[in-house]
Amino acid sequence: MFRSRSWFGGGWGRPKNPHSLEHLKYLYNVLSRNQTVSEHNRGLLVETLRSIAEILIWGDQNDSSVFDFFLEKNMLSFFLRIMRQRSGGSSFVCVQLLQTLNILFENIRNETSLYYLLSNNHVNSIIVHKFDFSDEEVMAYYISFLKTLSLKLNAHTIHFFYNEHTNDFPLYTEAIKFFNHPESMVRIAVRTLTLNVYKVEDTSMLAFIRDRTAAPYFSNIVWFIGKHIQELDNCVRNDADHQSQNRLSDLVAEHLDHLHYLNDILCLNITDLNQVLTDHLLHKLLIPLYIFSLTKRTTPLGDVASANMNRLLQNRALSLENSWSPHHENYINGGKVSCVVALFLLSQVFLIVYHAPLVQTLAWIILKTDKTSYEGGVDKLLEQYSTEMKKQKQRIEESVDSDTSTQSSSKEGSHENLLEEQRNVTDEEKQRLATSPSESVVGIEKPFLETIFNSLDCTENDYTTLFSLCLFYAVANNKGIRSDIIEQILKPKKTLVSKSTNDKDIKYSYNMQLVDKILHVVMLSCQPTCRVRLVTLELALKLLVQLVMCDGKCILLDSHKLTIEAAKSQSTALLRNFYKSEEIFLDMFEHEYCDMQKGLLNVEWLCMDSAVLLPPTGTPMTGIDFTKRLPCGEVERARRAIRVFFLVRDVVLTLNGEIETQLPLTNPQSCVQIDQALDLSISRYNSDLIGCTVIYKDGTKMRRFLVIDILQLILVEPDTKRLGWGVAKLVGFLQDIEVSGDKDDSRCLHITIHRPLSGTTTNRIPLLSAKFVFDDNIRCMAAKQRLTKGRIKARQKKMQHIARLLEIPGQSGPPSPAFMGASGGGYTSRQMGRNRERPLFNRCPGLAAPRRESSPSVVHRADAEARRSRNTAESPSRVSKLRNEASPRTNKEDRSRDSSSSSKTRSRDSSPRMPRPRSEEIPLELIKKAPNSVIDMAPKISILPRPQTPKIECEQSQLEKSGASRDKDSGVSLISDISEETSFIADEGDSAMIAKSFVETI
Amino acid sequence: MSYAYLFKYIIIGDTGVGKSCLLLQFTDKRFQPVHDLTIGVEFGARMITIDSKQIKLQIWDTAGQEAFRSITRSYYRGAAGALLVYDITRRETFNHLTTWLDDARQHSNSNMVIMLIGNKSDLESRREVKKEEGEAFAREHGLVFMETSAKTAANVEEAFINTAKEIYEKIQEGVFDINNEANGIKIGPQHSPTNPSLPGATGSSGSQGGGCC
Ligand SMILES: Nc1nc2c(ncn2[C@@H]2O[C@H](COP(=O)(O)OP(=O)(O)O)[C@@H](O)[C@H]2O)c(=O)[nH]1
Ligand SMILES: [Mg+2]
Repeated sequence: MFRSRSWFGGGWGRPKNPHSLEHLKYLYNVLSRNQTVSEHNRGLLVETLRSIAEILIWGDQNDSSVFDFFLEKNMLSFFLRIMRQRSGGSSFVCVQLLQTLNILFENIRNETSLYYLLSNNHVNSIIVHKFDFSDEEVMAYYISFLKTLSLKLNAHTIHFFYNEHTNDFPLYTEAIKFFNHPESMVRIAVRTLTLNVYKVEDTSMLAFIRDRTAAPYFSNIVWFIGKHIQELDNCVRNDADHQSQNRLSDLVAEHLDHLHYLNDILCLNITDLNQVLTDHLLHKLLIPLYIFSLTKRTTPLGDVASANMNRLLQNRALSLENSWSPHHENYINGGKVSCVVALFLLSQVFLIVYHAPLVQTLAWIILKTDKTSYEGGVDKLLEQYSTEMKKQKQRIEESVDSDTSTQSSSKEGSHENLLEEQRNVTDEEKQRLATSPSESVVGIEKPFLETIFNSLDCTENDYTTLFSLCLFYAVANNKGIRSDIIEQILKPKKTLVSKSTNDKDIKYSYNMQLVDKILHVVMLSCQPTCRVRLVTLELALKLLVQLVMCDGKCILLDSHKLTIEAAKSQSTALLRNFYKSEEIFLDMFEHEYCDMQKGLLNVEWLCMDSAVLLPPTGTPMTGIDFTKRLPCGEVERARRAIRVFFLVRDVVLTLNGEIETQLPLTNPQSCVQIDQALDLSISRYNSDLIGCTVIYKDGTKMRRFLVIDILQLILVEPDTKRLGWGVAKLVGFLQDIEVSGDKDDSRCLHITIHRPLSGTTTNRIPLLSAKFVFDDNIRCMAAKQRLTKGRIKARQKKMQHIARLLEIPGQSGPPSPAFMGASGGGYTSRQMGRNRERPLFNRCPGLAAPRRESSPSVVHRADAEARRSRNTAESPSRVSKLRNEASPRTNKEDRSRDSSSSSKTRSRDSSPRMPRPRSEEIPLELIKKAPNSVIDMAPKISILPRPQTPKIECEQSQLEKSGASRDKDSGVSLISDISEETSFIADEGDSAMIAKSFVETI
Repeated sequence: MSYAYLFKYIIIGDTGVGKSCLLLQFTDKRFQPVHDLTIGVEFGARMITIDSKQIKLQIWDTAGQEAFRSITRSYYRGAAGALLVYDITRRETFNHLTTWLDDARQHSNSNMVIMLIGNKSDLESRREVKKEEGEAFAREHGLVFMETSAKTAANVEEAFINTAKEIYEKIQEGVFDINNEANGIKIGPQHSPTNPSLPGATGSSGSQGGGCC
């Protein structure tokens, strides 16, 4: 530590300095005079050993003569001598010895010092010394010592530990003896060490590992994993009541640890080692135990009866004696685990391990094994797999000049597609291409695949369904599996079909039977009394999309499309049953949406959760996540219905290539944010400005102006820089407010603004809870009235929006304010007419009216005129064309304010992910626009009456409507309507807002 | 060796923040900083007393195995406490805390007590991370916070012991399943303590003994 020198600056070489050669010499003398350990010198020895470590490290960095002396006197041999003494080698001394060695090896930086320390084989003698490993502390220090050494391994140092001539590698062979030690930290240290060893690229050492240790080490690991999963299986079988969740979750985590460890080894890409390991895993664990447990048939003979498995079978027989619980449908006797457990564990395998030779074999066996080869047992299966692979290779070679391939279920291979490209495909064959998958996939001939398929059935419950889906998903997404193996079964298949010699069509096909099954799950999920958990539905839909989307297109056949549409209607109908005017429905709706956006399904995490291994339950008391259990009670059933609606809706949109434009209900882009400067003179705000003093609980007082926007309540402070402007100091959603009067003071209101339920925080402290004092009781009443009404209106609008989503009849009202956003005077005159509002406002003389900077209307009118002429000239088709032209414009201001066209283009990546904004977080938005931006916006906004409605018909109908209303008003055009509404508006900049309000109030 | 409980800790954080030094400083006070040499080690054990109960702490440094996912995973799972260390003189070590914390939260059992440590407090002149920042981070993520120096030993003792106290409290509250060793907590052997005059009897004296040096 050269740096350390500067800490105290110099000071070495003092005669009594403990950091000196002299001191080491002194310690050497102590050791020589105390070669026999006794009760009396024990303490002295320990302190001596400790000091030696210290001096050596100091010497390593400061004085090479220290190390020379240490080596010259062969001081390591003292260590050995001390260790080997029965009486003296008490744990006390040994621990210090090991710690000294740890410190030495960890802190030595000088390569040569390290080599010297290692050179005389003393270290290996220490490694093989039989310490008292029953002493927990000795064990821990010993294994840490080995681990520390392993971290020093490299192409050079390896030769001090691995002796090529004697074929000896004590560091490794001693360590792996503890691979199954009861202490988890010891096991982890061993694993670390093995990985550090494998990592060293030394051919002869690796050859030693492979030839001399791999088989026993790996087969032991494999055996213990097998034992573990039997335990796990027992745990699942015996815990219908969710009593031992802790134990189960440990076992699951343990299994994951095993898999990650195996994967870490495989990822080192040591060919020889990987081969041995893969062989062991396939022959002794994954096929006989995991895969064969999928079927209820008795395990075929074959090498399952290998010694290894026999041991397993015996253990099993013993442990199962009184543990078999009848509830478990999937009980299988004889060396197997239950089907649920097998599906779950296999999913984990495919989610974690991606070593191609391993996962590919497994996938092939699961997906392609037929009855005959199944009867032959593990060896037969593997044999067949390799023959198949060989055949395939041959075929690739042949394919250059021939078109030999004829399809048979067992001959599907990677390059058939290539072949098929060349062939003329008859109609009949096309037909077969489209339908054969189902036949070939599910024939009774394929026992494993058949089980997984049957497990998808969720008529009774979705216990196994979830795992089948997990497994399919994991296989389909494992990057170690070549696509030809899963094509057509778990992935769409593309075939080039020649119509004529040079006209080729791409034909897509997908696994119809699987899609049938999945759609069945989806349909069932939309039934009121079904027993399908949300997580199952979400996964089913996720898989569905993967199965039928290809090249960005949906290749779903019409019949299936109809089914999913039917599911959507069904889910909508289901949710309609819960639609109530009760307050809680809206809160729930928004909360669920937000929650869902936060927690998109991650299958890997799902398969880490042991809770799903137990039969589905309805009670929240188990602590199981809502999506992973059945709903309990009416409220949860409503929540479930909401989620089902969201999930199905989202998938239908995806399949149709559409993007979500209606959700979330609050468009975060349209909200005012704290510290935002607002031009209070524009229509949107100034009609509702009420001055007041806000008194917080802690006594703080603030003079503020209360602004009631469409969705929000805003407290502003006059902007010192610009007349007529104010700065938002607090914003809250009207829907979350609570207002009550003060019985003692008629000028006072108590206002509480709750945080949105759907907020990202769990913070339930209200956003604001304060007393508002107004100038007089009239203003106070006015404020109360507005707030109360504002709250009701805000909620009504959203409820109407939901109603439209749910296609509840009689909801042809105006678009939701949420999507009109804050853009413009959102109150339509029909709903909250100015004629009712204005007088009230006018009757309150003291109400702070923001100053107008200029006299109203001129510019605005002109602009409105301009717009009208444009609008009337536009036909619907021209309109949509215009929109298309306009939308790519990404003028920031347009985007942020204009919820119509801009949110269409970006809602996918922004808004749906965004929770309903907490008021404090809403991004700064433009309030005031440059005059010329109006022109830019006009075409865009003027044509989108229902901004969020993607369909052309809607646009048309809306346009018709607007036309109609113009007729009705006969002459009093909409424009003038708006002019009326906004006539008090101050300056030209605001016409942008008006432009939009025009559109959106149609 | 007799103890009421054994708590397993892991110590995590970027390289060079002083994990190994902290560990040795805590487990073996005889390596006094006045010797002008900081020495580190990757494993250590020491006995402490809480509520007049003997508690053994085993601290495992996880350094050097970041490349292996299986190892990181298992370490986190097997620990009852974690010391998450950054270096107050190197801002990037502070910036990486979230990554460490995410990892810890993902892999550990939910009851694991995490103590945030800003190390090298002796290097005031080179400080890059304000104490308040550490405090704020800890508050935000529900951690206990302390600034330490493995060099002057300031607060080192407290850091490890406070973590133990918190684990101990959780045990008293019944949050930790102490019968499940996978949680990083072990109940001591029940037989009566051996002759305390023997150095080996406390098990800790080997590493702690002669703390006065
Ligand atoms: N000044 C000072 N230096 C320290 C302190 N702790 C550790 N160091 C130094 O920081 C460097 C890295 O320490 P180390 O314990 O190996 O860090 P690790 O990689 O986290 O284990 C070494 O040079 C130590 O001497 C401390 O508290 N103060
Ligand atoms: Mg270190």
